[in-house]
Amino acid sequence: MATYTRNNAWNNGGTFNNPDLLWYAKGVGVMQFRALDDTSSWWFFAAIHGEYIGESGFPGWGSIPAPPSVPTAPLPAQDVRDTYWDQCQHQSWYFPPWHRGYLIALEAQIRAAVVGLGGPADWALPYWNYFGPDDEYEIPPAFTQQTLPDGTTPNPLFVAARYGPNNDGNIFIPIPPVSQGCEGNDVYTGSDPATPLPGFGGPETGFSHQGDVSGNLESNPHNQVHVDVGGNSPDGETWGLMSDPGIAALDPVFYLHHGNIDRMWAAWNNNGNSNPADPNWLNGPAAVGEREFAMPMPDGSSWVYTPEMVNSLSQLDYTYDDLSVAVAPQPAVRLARRLSKLRAANAAANAAPGAAMNTGDSSELVGSNNQALQIKSSGARAVVRLDSDVRGKVSASLSAASETSPPDHVYLQLENVRGTRDSYKLNVSVNQQHAGTVALFGLRRASLKDGAHGGEGLTFVLDITNIIDNLFVDDALDVNTLDVRIVPNQSVADSADITVGRVSVYRQGQQ
Amino acid sequence: MRISARESARVNASILLVSAAAWAVLLVNPGGATALAHCPVTDSGVSAASFRMLLAMNPVSSLAAGWALMLVAMMSPMLVTPIRHVLERSFKRRRARSVTLFVVGYAAVWMAAGGVLLGARLTSSLLMPRSYLPAVVAGVVAFVWQCAPVKQRCLNRGHRHRELAAFGAAADLDALRFGVTHGVWCVGSCWALMLFPMLLSQGHLAGMAAVTFLMVSERLEQPRPLGWRLRGAGKLTRIVAAQTRIRLHGLLSRSGPSLSGSGSV
Repeated sequence: MATYTRNNAWNNGGTFNNPDLLWYAKGVGVMQFRALDDTSSWWFFAAIHGEYIGESGFPGWGSIPAPPSVPTAPLPAQDVRDTYWDQCQHQSWYFPPWHRGYLIALEAQIRAAVVGLGGPADWALPYWNYFGPDDEYEIPPAFTQQTLPDGTTPNPLFVAARYGPNNDGNIFIPIPPVSQGCEGNDVYTGSDPATPLPGFGGPETGFSHQGDVSGNLESNPHNQVHVDVGGNSPDGETWGLMSDPGIAALDPVFYLHHGNIDRMWAAWNNNGNSNPADPNWLNGPAAVGEREFAMPMPDGSSWVYTPEMVNSLSQLDYTYDDLSVAVAPQPAVRLARRLSKLRAANAAANAAPGAAMNTGDSSELVGSNNQALQIKSSGARAVVRLDSDVRGKVSASLSAASETSPPDHVYLQLENVRGTRDSYKLNVSVNQQHAGTVALFGLRRASLKDGAHGGEGLTFVLDITNIIDNLFVDDALDVNTLDVRIVPNQSVADSADITVGRVSVYRQGQQ
Repeated sequence: MRISARESARVNASILLVSAAAWAVLLVNPGGATALAHCPVTDSGVSAASFRMLLAMNPVSSLAAGWALMLVAMMSPMLVTPIRHVLERSFKRRRARSVTLFVVGYAAVWMAAGGVLLGARLTSSLLMPRSYLPAVVAGVVAFVWQCAPVKQRCLNRGHRHRELAAFGAAADLDALRFGVTHGVWCVGSCWALMLFPMLLSQGHLAGMAAVTFLMVSERLEQPRPLGWRLRGAGKLTRIVAAQTRIRLHGLLSRSGPSLSGSGSV
């Protein structure tokens, strides 16, 4: 039996009648009382994820609307900042393990504060499972109260800059498009019939504060929940804390969201799926010459950890009250279903059950549009011209599909997406069929020319295999172009300056 | 979307092989390709006669060939990432053509820069033949440039891999333009480092090797905010050390954190 069990924040109605939440609020309050340069302060921990302390104007920390009143001084020494700040791992296969260690360190700090206040020594961080029944898609009510149950003490869980998907302060997660479909993957990095690229946990990377493509767990639900909770201010001038990685961890609901993401990873492992065995993953970024994961602990020491050290919850003496998954991978079943759709029913009937082979990340360009797009409130349209020879390969692959010759996967790629605001989602369709929704979490940082991503922006990969299958089945794949439409989920501020560098289509052979 | 691991390994191996071949030529004939030839006339001070003799003993074609060989040896390893970008964003049948255009654009910029750097080398050879002083001055300039914000700007821009058109002349033009812009930022980042070994009257190859190690290392670093800082070869050194450790000793074992409230580690 693990010492620490993380429980559902919606227990006891998600109010302060849930002792996990009441102690969390009190612990956050203790940490918020500490100075910025105190490694055990709320502000220091937020900066570990990412910070805009030196920036003037929003989202600079000095311009964030209270509560909370965010300090910008005193700064820690440069070597301390270099060790701890701006570590967050996104668009990377290190995304799950880095955030697991981050949660554990924050939790240790909160627990120390809770114990200091006379609370339970086995206190653990609750998680917000927005996929739960009834009203659990809404933020637990304890986060919306302005005071603690005494009626006078300000509630540390309440923040002003939390606007929700409709920008009106009503915080909920729209399901769909937010989904737990990634639990149906069975490959951490790579792909197979049950796993679209780049895989459940993310693409192989070096040390990447901002990288290239999000893994499937990170893309949905993680990124989407961030943007849904944060939203934009009603006047459209600013955005919510959760929408942007440089301010996200200032909002206490951040850690309950990541508790759920961590729970989903643990449930995925619990369902028989494996994490990478590659030494470059197990040893973390230090294996590729980058700085190590490091967290300050309550006694002032530094915990330097690797993915291998947080590979499973049991080795950390942790568990969750619920490690069930909603979607089973069943790659053979998925392949058989697809083959059946492709009129290869006889072959599909012979498909052997069992895990499919990881087909890695080998891909080939099929076509692209010819100019960058500006995303306005009305959206944008791209005509993706297909190369007839490569399109012919896709058609041939679908025509010859069998259990021994699996059909191609096809992906739509939005390349070099840049902008100054993360708080939007883009709904993407191909030939009037919905291809997916992407959230722009991390866009601003990835677009800074002198930021960690060199201004390359973000790239989004959408699995459009099903759409291509439909076109094939309808004898409509023999076309020279695809009609791609990109529509934002809400009105886009002109200052957001969102552009898509190129829209392309790739095929991925399965052998 | 990425090229496959096998393709990636092939690309890496090809590029490193080309670099290694160039290094082999330099090592086999260390004085032939890149060193300046001298005689009593060229060492006699600044005069039209000494300049003519210097050019006669070191014709422009020979200097250009030596410079090109240096570029292939020293710069090839740094082209792995942009060449992979070109491969990934191009149709398979166009890949060789696009990569060629990228390399042509990149090399053209460096050859143009070579005209200036070789001019500086000839001038220093006339003014101070067989002296270490020009190399010392170049070393100081390289050090200051190495620490300057403008160097970081060049490094950061070198990480920016532009969108590439896929079809027709637009694809050709984009590949060429990408090579030119990448070359411009590369020259901005590396010109001073390249000048230093060129001015060494002895230890030319050792200087080139050290500078190559440094340039590859700093190119592996992520983009950073502009500012004055010492930029060294730490990244590549750490990679070599870490990968050696992994291969020699297997996975590292470390103790986990204390998860109690006191949180000792």
